[in-house]
Amino acid sequence: MKVLIANRGEIAVRVIRACREMGYGTVAVYSDCDRTAMHVRLADEAHAIGAGPASDSYLRIDRIIDVARRSGASLVHPGYGFLAENASFAQACADAKLTFVGPSPQAIALMGGKTAARDVARRVGVPVVPGTAAPFDEQATDKDVVEAAATIGYPLLVKAVAGGGGKGMRTVAAADALLPALRLARSEARAAFGDGSVYLERRIVHPRHIEIQLLGDAHGTMLPFVERECSIQRRHQKVVEESPSPVLDPETRAAMAEAAARVASAAGYTNAGTIEFLLDESGAFYFLEMNTRLQVEHPVTEAVTGIDLVQWQLRIALGERLTVSPDRALTPRGHAIECRIYAEDPDRGFLPSPGLVRDVTVPGGPGVRDDRGVEAGFDVPLFYDALIAKLIVWGESRPQAIQRLTRALDEYRVVGVQTTLPFFRWLVRQPEFAAAQFSTTYLDALLVDRDGPFVVPTATDREDAAIAAALTSWARAHHAPGESANGGTTAWRRASRLDGLR
Amino acid sequence: MTFETDVDGHRCAVSIEPVGDVARGGGRFRVAIRDLEGDQPARVYVVDSRPTALGLSLAFDDGRMADPAVTTRPNGEYLIQFPGVDVPVLVDGRRRRQGESAGAGQGQQRITAPMPGRVLRVLVQSGDDVVARQGLVVVEAMKMENELRAARAGRVREVVVTEGTSVEAGRLLVVIE
Repeated sequence: MKVLIANRGEIAVRVIRACREMGYGTVAVYSDCDRTAMHVRLADEAHAIGAGPASDSYLRIDRIIDVARRSGASLVHPGYGFLAENASFAQACADAKLTFVGPSPQAIALMGGKTAARDVARRVGVPVVPGTAAPFDEQATDKDVVEAAATIGYPLLVKAVAGGGGKGMRTVAAADALLPALRLARSEARAAFGDGSVYLERRIVHPRHIEIQLLGDAHGTMLPFVERECSIQRRHQKVVEESPSPVLDPETRAAMAEAAARVASAAGYTNAGTIEFLLDESGAFYFLEMNTRLQVEHPVTEAVTGIDLVQWQLRIALGERLTVSPDRALTPRGHAIECRIYAEDPDRGFLPSPGLVRDVTVPGGPGVRDDRGVEAGFDVPLFYDALIAKLIVWGESRPQAIQRLTRALDEYRVVGVQTTLPFFRWLVRQPEFAAAQFSTTYLDALLVDRDGPFVVPTATDREDAAIAAALTSWARAHHAPGESANGGTTAWRRASRLDGLR
Repeated sequence: MTFETDVDGHRCAVSIEPVGDVARGGGRFRVAIRDLEGDQPARVYVVDSRPTALGLSLAFDDGRMADPAVTTRPNGEYLIQFPGVDVPVLVDGRRRRQGESAGAGQGQQRITAPMPGRVLRVLVQSGDDVVARQGLVVVEAMKMENELRAARAGRVREVVVTEGTSVEAGRLLVVIE
């Protein structure tokens, strides 16, 4: 049996690993700039599907289905992002007699549409954040939106109906900022999801983001897992995720898990999915949305339950019954924390820092897991999300997990591009992080006020760096390009030199 | 040979003189480093520098050692990486920092692309009056839309790009006076 992985980067690697463990063949797809990517090198076979921009490759349903046919794959795993929440893709797989590793196209369409999902939640008695009942499509006038906004009240959020990952979402503090935010959210949503429809939602002040992982099989079992807390966000993008939440009491945990399972069951949901809630300062929670796919942060759940979610996705897709005991799924063993390491320069407003990764040193030791999609020698392309790796640590307790995370972050080294590692080294040392005193606005508020590098180089570091740069410039001036054995050497030149040595 | 280095605004003159034979960038150097601000005397070292797979191995005559990775970034600056800390270094002003070109408080603002990407929208035209923090251009890179704004009020003198243009880092987009 062969599984086609319709994705790239660390999640493609993650799925390939699960397939390998289960003895299934793996078929990778890749765009032109991903020819030598880690997911391609790890797969049993790999097929080109087009040019770098995702719309020419990883979003091309026709080409991916064609590769599945030609390679003889019988399952298609979409990962997250790209086509993972695209009902047409799930339908195209079904039409081609391929098993889509995820929910049915109907469930994706229902729960992926944010306003429809809110209706489902309301219908089964799960509270939702107050907001517009029907979405504003491209035809809706500015006036319609302004009037609806006035009834909801400020601050509010403009959110893309098809959105996710913070894309197509804008916070609006007051009425005069509504229309510019609307314009940006619509255009971002159009570019990312091909749909500029938006809705409005009241912004809960200082909420915590808590979510429930679910697995549902085709035999009527719906299994909720212990929650994840993802309150540490930068511009609505999750940055750190952990499980369990440091603040949830057992009663709220049970109530939230039960509510999540109720919503998903009502939607006829199968396979892996996540229901996101906002927890307000009084301890009340509200349904936010459902993600009809595997989440980026799924490893923290795996770490505290010992259950392999990706293997279960495949088993469920093949019709197996879920045999995990509900107690096991809901009872955390220890504590796990994940950091998303991006090729971004945190000291310049998190600007993308694409380029050649020259070397990677990965931390090891007890309780450390590295889910990575980039190896040394790979040029991080500009076309996609800049996630390089996820560092997941597990500890007996939250304090121990933080100590381990701090240690592992100090061991982690990526050479050639700048990454968010210095930012995390700073973040894990913040007193609010240790005390778990944060909400989804914590990080943005903290970042607005601070200045200077996250990890401040010592005077000696600065002097050594200046001398190293000057020596490199000197060598450049005195030797032919490529003759200096440092950063001036290109990968091609290194390769040809190695060839010459053979 | 003397180089001017800039580490996060901290500028130094670094003079490099080889001592004896130097091959392929490796050998012994007399290094004098002097802060450009203040009137501290130069610090002088004899440094053995040897190229490594990722950068340089430096041994100073005072016993200090450093083994930084050295990468030339596409914008021309050096990224010097030690375990646990990254230090970007400009040599001889090879890179214009984002925003820095806009000046301290008056005069011309030259809005440049902070990263390679595609111009999604141009929000102003030549001749428009703009207020501080007004959006000028939206550039998409790595799936995120980044709105570039005016640092302060002024009048748009020139819009150099059109919507849909792909731009390199540092490319001039808008001039405001």
